[in-house]
Amino acid sequence: MKLKTDKLINHILSIHPMAWLIGALVSAVVEWSVGTVIAYSIGLSDGIPPVFGLSLIFAKPLLIPSVILYLVLVYLIPIYVVARLLSGVVGKVMSRLPQLASIAVYLIMLYAVLEVWGSLDDYRLMVLKLIGIGIILTVSLNLVNGWMGEFSVAHAGFMAIGAYVSSIVMVWGFVNDDVFGPAVLPTSWAPVAFPIALIIGGIAAAIGALVVAIPSFRTRGDYLGIITLAFVFIVQGVINNLNFIGGARGFMHMPPLSSLTWVFIWTLLALFMIQRYVSSTYGKATSAVRDNESAAEVMTVDTRKVKIIAFLTNAFWAGIAGGLYAHMMGYINPGNFGIVMSVEVLAMLYLGGLNSITGSVVGAVFYRLISEILRPLGLYKWVVIPVLLILIMIYRPFGLLGFQEIKLPTFGRKKEVPHAADAD
Amino acid sequence: MPLMQINHLTHFFGGLRAVHDFNTTIEMGDLKGLIGPNGAGKTTIFNLVTGVYRPTEGEVIFEGKNIVGKRPNVISDMGIARTFQNLRLWTNMTVLDNVKIAAYSRIKYGLVGAFLGGNGRYEEERMLDQEAERLLKMLDIDKFRDFKVSNLPYGIQRRVEIARALMVRPKLLLLDEPAAGMSPAEMLEIMDVIRMIQDELGLAIWLIEHRMKMVMELCQSIQVLNFGEVIAEGPPDAIRNNPVVIKAYLGTVVS
Amino acid sequence: MTEVVQQLLNALQWGSFYALIALGYSMVYSILMLFNFAHGDIFMTGSYIGLFVTLGLLGIFASGVVALPGWVIFIITLLLTMLLTSFLGILLELVAYRPLRDAPRASAAITGLMVGIFLETGNLALLGASRKTFPADKLIKQSIFDIGGVYVTNIKLLTIVLSLFLMLLLHLLVQKTKLGMAMRAMSVDYAIVPLMGIPMNTVISLTFAIGSALAGAAGVLFAMGYPVLEPYMGMLIGWKAFVAAILGGRGSIMGAALGGYLLGFIEIIVAAVFVSTLKDPIAYGIVLLILTFRPHGIFGEAYSAHLRI
Repeated sequence: MKLKTDKLINHILSIHPMAWLIGALVSAVVEWSVGTVIAYSIGLSDGIPPVFGLSLIFAKPLLIPSVILYLVLVYLIPIYVVARLLSGVVGKVMSRLPQLASIAVYLIMLYAVLEVWGSLDDYRLMVLKLIGIGIILTVSLNLVNGWMGEFSVAHAGFMAIGAYVSSIVMVWGFVNDDVFGPAVLPTSWAPVAFPIALIIGGIAAAIGALVVAIPSFRTRGDYLGIITLAFVFIVQGVINNLNFIGGARGFMHMPPLSSLTWVFIWTLLALFMIQRYVSSTYGKATSAVRDNESAAEVMTVDTRKVKIIAFLTNAFWAGIAGGLYAHMMGYINPGNFGIVMSVEVLAMLYLGGLNSITGSVVGAVFYRLISEILRPLGLYKWVVIPVLLILIMIYRPFGLLGFQEIKLPTFGRKKEVPHAADAD
Repeated sequence: MPLMQINHLTHFFGGLRAVHDFNTTIEMGDLKGLIGPNGAGKTTIFNLVTGVYRPTEGEVIFEGKNIVGKRPNVISDMGIARTFQNLRLWTNMTVLDNVKIAAYSRIKYGLVGAFLGGNGRYEEERMLDQEAERLLKMLDIDKFRDFKVSNLPYGIQRRVEIARALMVRPKLLLLDEPAAGMSPAEMLEIMDVIRMIQDELGLAIWLIEHRMKMVMELCQSIQVLNFGEVIAEGPPDAIRNNPVVIKAYLGTVVS
Repeated sequence: MTEVVQQLLNALQWGSFYALIALGYSMVYSILMLFNFAHGDIFMTGSYIGLFVTLGLLGIFASGVVALPGWVIFIITLLLTMLLTSFLGILLELVAYRPLRDAPRASAAITGLMVGIFLETGNLALLGASRKTFPADKLIKQSIFDIGGVYVTNIKLLTIVLSLFLMLLLHLLVQKTKLGMAMRAMSVDYAIVPLMGIPMNTVISLTFAIGSALAGAAGVLFAMGYPVLEPYMGMLIGWKAFVAAILGGRGSIMGAALGGYLLGFIEIIVAAVFVSTLKDPIAYGIVLLILTFRPHGIFGEAYSAHLRI
C-alpha cells in the first residue's frame, strides 16, 4: 500500500507544478462554462456543488456518487489531462524565466484560478476569504506558539482590536453613522484608505500586545498562557462596555471592502514576511529562546527584543485578519472574538503543524474543508472538532506537518551564488 | 589596564554564601584556571561574570567598565563568551545555525531586512555563513555543518558549543568543564583545540576543570576555590603539591 | 452599614462557589503541573447532573409510596452529584490527560480546552439551548431572615456553611490521611513518588475525583441559589474560579480557597464602585497584574528548581 502511494506521489511530482496550475485554470473555466449543465445532467438538482460537495456528505449522502462523478468530470480529468500534456513545454518555459518573473507568474496564475473558481458562487468567495484570513491568523500565531514555543491564546483579542479599530476608521471616514457623524472623506478614497485602516488596526493590536509581551519577560509556559487568556476576556469585557461602538450589540456598517484580491494580497504578504523572518538568523534566535533561553542570553541574543517582536508580529497580523474579517462580514460583536475563536485558530495551527509555514496554510485549508463537511451537523461540529484535535494531540503533538515544510518548486533560474566553500 | 579585574566579588543565595570576597585579574592572552571541589562556587562565579546573576557585592571590571548589573546579552556583546558544564545547545537547529545565532548583536540588517529580505540581508547572511564555517573548520567539524545537533555525538557537540562561543568574537572565553564526560584521548584533543584557539585568536581563556592533567598542563596560573573562597593561587607547580589544596579535595592532609 | 454586611454575604456566597471550583484547579496543578481547562465545564456538568438527580429523586420520593422531606432529598442530591461528578473527572483524566503525560504541555492544555468545548456542545446538542430551571424551592423553601436590617436567605447561609465544611474536610484529608500525604509528596517532587511505592495513577485519579466532586457540590449549591442553568455557565463561573486559583497561588490548596473568597470580594467591590459590567475585565486585569509581578500568586511558592516533568 505504501508503495502505491509513493508511486502516486512521485507521479504527481513529476508533472510540473505550473502545469498543474494551468490545468486548474482550465478546469475552472470548464466549470464556469458548462458546469451547471453537467451538474443538472448527472442528477445534482441544486446545480454546481459549492465547495466540492463536501457539505453534501452529511446532508445528502445519496448524492455522493453524483458528486464524485462531477468532480471527476469537471476537475480531475481536465486538470490531469491539461497538466500532463503541458508539463514538458511549461517546464522548459518556466526554467528560462528569471526568478522574480517566475514567482510572479505562479502568483498570477494562482490568483486567476481562485478568482475564476470563486466567481461562480458567493459562498465560494466567502470560503476562500475565510481560508485566507485563517492562514494569516495561523501563520502569525505559529511564530509565538511554534517558533517561540509559548502557549498563547491572545490572538482572538488582537483580532478584536484590529477589527474594531479598522472599522472605526472606515466608518468615521466613509459612512454616515449615528455615532461617528457624517462621512468625512470622499468615497473615492475608500479603496486606498482601506489598507491604511487595516494597518492602523494592526498597529493598535500590536500596541495591545505589549500587555502580554512585557509579562513574558519573566513568565513562561502555563502562566503566560493564563495571561493571554485573561487578555482575551479583558478585551471582550472592555468592548462590551464601550457603548459608542455598540457594546454587546455589536458594530456594523463598515463598508464591504474585503475583496478576494485584498485577502489574497494580505495573505501572501503575511506568509512572505513571516517566512522571511524565521529563515533569517535574526528570526532563528526566536527558536533559540524557546530551546534554551539562558544560553541565548549569554550568546548576545536580546531575548526581550525577540519576545516583543514575536508577540507584536502575531498581534499585528491578527489585527489585519480581524480588519479583513470585519469588512467582509459587515457586522462584528465581542462574542465573535472570544475563546472559541482562539480555539479555532489553535485547531488550524495544530492541524497544520507547528514551526511550519506550509503547515499553517495546510492547517487553515484543512480546517475550513473539515468545517464544510461538518456544516450540516450544525452544533455537532463542535463535538467532532474537539475530538479530532484531541486525537491529533495524542498521536501527533506537533501537528501534521510539525517542523517540516512541503518543498515548493524552485522558481526559475537561480542567480549565480558563489558557494562559501569556493571562497579561499 | 587588565582585560578583566574582579574585586571583592561576593554572592548570597538567600542565606547561603556561595562566593566570598573573590578577586582576580586576567590579562589578554592569559590562560587561567579555576579549580576546586564540587559546589565550591566556580560556575557561580562564571554566572556572576556573564550577568546571569547579579552579585550581592563586588565589581567586575571588563576593559575598564564595571559590568555588574548589565544584562547577559550586553555583556557577551562586549566580548565575554562561555560554554556550559552541561551543554546548552539549541537542539532543534543545525550546527551552522547554532553558531550563527551567536552573532545576533552584530546583525545590521535589523527588522527590515529580517521581514522583507533584500540584498543587504542576503549579503550579511552570507558573511555570517562564511565566518561560521571558518570557525567550524578551525574546530574540525565543518562537515557537520547541516546536521541537527541532537543527532551528533557528545564530543562533536562540545566542539559546536566552543565554535558558538567563538562566534561572539570574545576577548575573554570562559570554559566550564570543557572536558567533562570525555575519554582521555578526547581530552587531549580538546587540550590541543584550546591551545590552538589561543594561538590563532589571541584571546584570554578562563578555565574551570576537574581533570588535573588538563589544568596543570594548560594554565599559566590557577586559583583554587573552596566554599566560595580562594584557598590557594599561583602557578601549577605551587598548586600541585599544596597541602591546603589536597586537603580540600581529599579531606585529609597527605603527608 | 447594613449594605456593607449585605454585600459581604454576597461576596462570601460567590466566593464559596469560586473557592470550591478553584480547589479542583489547584489540586490538579499541584500534582501534575497542569491546568485542567475543562474543570469549569465539569462544574457546569455537575450542575446538570444535580438537576437530573433531583428531578429523578423528586419524582420517586416527593409523592407516592415513600415521602421524604425536601431537605433530605437535597442532601442525597448533593452527595450523589458529587459522586457522579467525581466519576466524570476520573473518566476525563483517563481518556484525555493520561495519554498525554509525556507530550508537550501545550498539548495537554489544548486537550483540556477541547474537552470543555465538547462538554458544552454536547450539552447544547442533547438538551437544547433553552435554560433549565432547577427546582430549588421544592427542596428547600427559601426563607429570609432579617438580622438587624440585613436580609439573609437561608440558602445563602447554607451555601457558605456547607462550602466551608467541605473545605474543612478537604483540609483534613490532605493533612491527616495517607492519600493526602501522597498528594503533598507528589506536589513537591513528581518523579520520586513512584519510587516510594505510591501508585501514582491512583493518586492522580483520586485527585481528579475529589476536585470534580467539589465542583459538583459547587454546581448543586449554585443551582440552589441561582436556579437557572445554561450550558455556558461553566465559561462564566469556571474561568473566574480559575482566576481565583491563580490569585491564591500555584499548587497551594488553601491558597485556592482563599483566592476564591478574595475574588468574590474584589468582584463585589468593583460592582459597587464601578459599573457592574466592568467587573469581569477588572477582575481579569487584576489577575494580569498579579501574574506579572508575583506569578506564584499570593500564597504560592516562588518557582523552585526541583525537577518537574
